[in-house]
Amino acid sequence: MSSLFERIGGEAAVNTAVDIFYRKVLSDDRVNEFFDGVDMEQQINKQKGFLTMVFGGPNNYTGKDMREGHKHLVARGLNDSHVDAIIELLGATLTELGVAAEDIQAVADIANSVRDDVLNR
Amino acid sequence: MAHIIFDDERIELDQGQTVLSALLDKGYDIPNSCRAGACQSCMMQAVDGNIPDSAQQGLKETEKAQGYFLACSCMPDEALTIAAHDQSSLCIPATVIEHTIVSNDILKLRLKTEQDFNYRAGQFINVFKDSLSRSYSLASVDGVDDLLELHIRRIENGIVSNWLHHEIKPGDKLDIQQASGNCFYTSETSEEKLLLAGTGTGLAPLIGIARDALQQNHAGDIHLVHGVKQVDDLYMHQLLIDMSQQFDNFYYHASVLQADKVIAPVTTESIDKLILNIAAKPSEWKHYLCGDEIIVNTLKKKLFLAGASMSNIFTDPFISSSD
Repeated sequence: MSSLFERIGGEAAVNTAVDIFYRKVLSDDRVNEFFDGVDMEQQINKQKGFLTMVFGGPNNYTGKDMREGHKHLVARGLNDSHVDAIIELLGATLTELGVAAEDIQAVADIANSVRDDVLNR
Repeated sequence: MAHIIFDDERIELDQGQTVLSALLDKGYDIPNSCRAGACQSCMMQAVDGNIPDSAQQGLKETEKAQGYFLACSCMPDEALTIAAHDQSSLCIPATVIEHTIVSNDILKLRLKTEQDFNYRAGQFINVFKDSLSRSYSLASVDGVDDLLELHIRRIENGIVSNWLHHEIKPGDKLDIQQASGNCFYTSETSEEKLLLAGTGTGLAPLIGIARDALQQNHAGDIHLVHGVKQVDDLYMHQLLIDMSQQFDNFYYHASVLQADKVIAPVTTESIDKLILNIAAKPSEWKHYLCGDEIIVNTLKKKLFLAGASMSNIFTDPFISSSD
């Protein structure tokens, strides 16, 4: 049985998915205000890290990293509705790439598992 | 046995050990995060040896060409020498050979270095006035032009630009540093369509990149778009028209915001609209954006949202200093 990360397509899938995902995020008025004025190259790299993690790939993120990395956004009003939107856009990205529904659910579950850390609660 | 050389120290690698893990074990403080080849925070530069392909996955072609790799994904087969310090900090003396005002407020400066000076057209160098430095992009092409060429816009109250414009003359010596930057041509896919767009002296790196590509027989179409406020701000206009007549695959467009007479290649269409007309499907193009930082970032976002891949957008944003 191959791992979720392998089924999705590994690092190559991350590199393909990141453009599609980030484009969706920047185009979505529910969440794009949090991305105003950030360096797009750096953001792409952060999102590759995020996608690798939620695709079940190798990563060393800790709950502390997640809290520290999003603290300033929580202060600006980041809440559950934004996390929901991101998970929805993640799902839409994977649907576009032809990933199976159960694997998309598995990705959403991983993303949900860090929700409390991201929202610092 | 595989080993690396870092900061003059030879470090042996265990079987299957990554460069990052070996350096961390030795106590070096190397920035890192995901350790999975994704976040790129452990990017380092090799100066000698073979970099395994797996250590360069996801990097830009221009980064690969300069020997950058991800330490967390790098398990070298043999020896690899890694740059411990930024090599670009050494000062190199240069002599001013030509000093020509080419438009309203733009100086073309051509310099000669005594020692070998390797660079990619479109990269930038720092020019020093005493301890103060400013970055200027290279319009010349290494291996084709004998001299380094810079285009310098005079900034109101700019200490370095006014000094270069008004006090420096042919024969004078200045200090420069090694070229750096990721905005240059790589010949991996010569069929690709190239969009080169910029404002003001952003034209300097764009001319360099265009000439570099043409010199390497790039087969795909190359469109250069220069954005300025007024007709008087255009420079090297005739050279670009000549280039477009000389090369079948080179096209030149001048976007002039305030123009009375509009004769091709001049148009009053704004640069952001013009580039999306030219590259109607941005995903099929490679994009080079140079000049004013805000405009570069705006164009980058528009092209990306219209479908360009971030790995196919190369930028050289000019960050202006307060003085």
